[in-house]
Amino acid sequence: MTEKIPRAAIAVYLLLALALAVQVLVPDAQRQAAADAGAFLGVLVLLAILFTAGLVFQKKDARAVTDIVTVIAVILVLWEILLGKLSLLDPLLFPGPAQVFQVFVSDWQLMLYGAVGSLGIMATGYILALALAIPLGLYIGWRRRLYDVAYPIAKAVSPIPPTVYLPYAIVLLPTFAASSVFLIFIGAFWPILVGTIYGVFAVDHRIINSARTLGLSDHQMVRRILLPGAMPSIFSGAMISLIMAFISITVAEMIAATSGLGWYIEYNHQFANYDKVIAGMILIALVVIGVMFIFDRIQRHCLRWQQAE
Amino acid sequence: MDDSGTLLSRIAQLLHYKSIFPQLQSPNYIRAICPELPFREVTILATITLDNLSMQYGNNGSRYTALSNVNLTISEGNFISLIGPSGCGKSTIIDIVSGLKTPTTGSVLIDKEPVSGPGTDRGTVFQDYSLFPWMTAFENICFAIEHTGGSHTKTEIEKQAEEYLNLVGLKKFRNAYPNTLSGGMRQRVSIARMFSMNPKVFLMDEPFGALDSLNRIYMQDLLLNLWTEGERHKTVLFVTHDVDEALLLSDKIAVMTPSPGKIKEVIDVPFSRPRCRKSLGATAEYLTLKSHLLSVLYCEMLGEIEQQAQNFRGLA
Repeated sequence: MTEKIPRAAIAVYLLLALALAVQVLVPDAQRQAAADAGAFLGVLVLLAILFTAGLVFQKKDARAVTDIVTVIAVILVLWEILLGKLSLLDPLLFPGPAQVFQVFVSDWQLMLYGAVGSLGIMATGYILALALAIPLGLYIGWRRRLYDVAYPIAKAVSPIPPTVYLPYAIVLLPTFAASSVFLIFIGAFWPILVGTIYGVFAVDHRIINSARTLGLSDHQMVRRILLPGAMPSIFSGAMISLIMAFISITVAEMIAATSGLGWYIEYNHQFANYDKVIAGMILIALVVIGVMFIFDRIQRHCLRWQQAE
Repeated sequence: MDDSGTLLSRIAQLLHYKSIFPQLQSPNYIRAICPELPFREVTILATITLDNLSMQYGNNGSRYTALSNVNLTISEGNFISLIGPSGCGKSTIIDIVSGLKTPTTGSVLIDKEPVSGPGTDRGTVFQDYSLFPWMTAFENICFAIEHTGGSHTKTEIEKQAEEYLNLVGLKKFRNAYPNTLSGGMRQRVSIARMFSMNPKVFLMDEPFGALDSLNRIYMQDLLLNLWTEGERHKTVLFVTHDVDEALLLSDKIAVMTPSPGKIKEVIDVPFSRPRCRKSLGATAEYLTLKSHLLSVLYCEMLGEIEQQAQNFRGLA
């Protein structure tokens, strides 16, 4: 690196070093004492490494990276000093970072199984919804008569929160996984369907006319013209669906499951293990960030023809 | 980042024009760009007949007549321009011939066969929006060739698409999406696509209407050269509102008048081909034809304006 390291970046390193030093040098408050502070120290070091990598590999967005890491570092330092060391709030409800991050070490197997299980159920329901809603939406948007029937129904049914189906789903479907898949499917289906229908309408009729002059069959028209043309709107529907799916799965697990991310939080809540509750929240946040990142990459790839301008 | 991107493409464009404009004087410049023109063994030609076309919109209550009794024959290998003010139904004629619209009465015949819907025996270029934005320039052309119905292998299609891209000087922009191309470049791809489909007839609806004048000159010469050199004079129906454009390109010009849209006069353009923009514009014959065309085009409009002016005076 030939350029000068910006001042803001140095501040981030200093903040992280401060957190590290405080953790090592200052003893934890009595009722906040973690069995082992290694996990928190590890998180701080990892953050410093990720930040450096971000500065090196994301030169264009260096400022944004710096700002985000600054916010995270400030939160960590405040959390550590105010709760971990000074224990200003009820130590049971508000554990310090050393305790919370230690959970990731002691409970990693349970958390991993939970995350994999939740994601598996979510992916199944979500992909089912995509596979059904997109083709259906394309034909509904293309055929006026289908639209006149389907759109009022979709409009009426789509705002119903998917969790209201939960009692029936639990009674009628054999396993928790099956009813969760159903719930996620229902929640994800409508936004994708409506997005697809709008997407078809948004395709410029001049482009459709140009396609018609090539004498395309109905099938080719739908697959090669309407699908890519509707893609931007499909993606915005799919984004809403993804958020719905996250909410649905977490709520469903909190109510009825015996494993999974939602269940992990609810279960530990009943035992007043608030360090594990917070660790569960952080885990969910990390999973959401990961999934959104992948979603964003797929979207960028599929809509690369749009970005050019 | 965006700024530098557009700046780079601007520079690329400018360099491109610099490299092509000097050659425009020679009618053979396409050979200079692309020595191996993809000549077809068989060039299919066709006659277009517009037989008593009428087009009405709306219900019985509020009927609007867009076209009324339009008769026109475009014989094999002729380049005919439809010219007229906006609202005279020239685009409607293109839509009917391409099969996008069905006339209220009358019919369109292509080689005595009535048109019943869209098809790849007609190649169409619109003002803009001919290309699909989610396909690259190259993919757009391949997609069109695929749908012409001939039995081509994939490599044949790709080879052809590449040849036609070269032909319009867009070899380097093979993998560019239409959004990243300038309006002129997009129209060049559209024209390459139309030629590559090898249709019976070409239909062009104000293809250069959205371009700046420099680009338009370039595109007119490109089209003219491609048409005279490359494809042995396919039958063309060309819509424009530009008198000079019509005179430069056409064998015949059909002048249309609005409300209801009808053909007022068909004028022969007697200039020999290949035509040169410079020498053509200087001849007395050209100027006479041009002023005649303008007077036919605008006499009705002038009448209307005078009428309005009188009404205005009457009010005051």
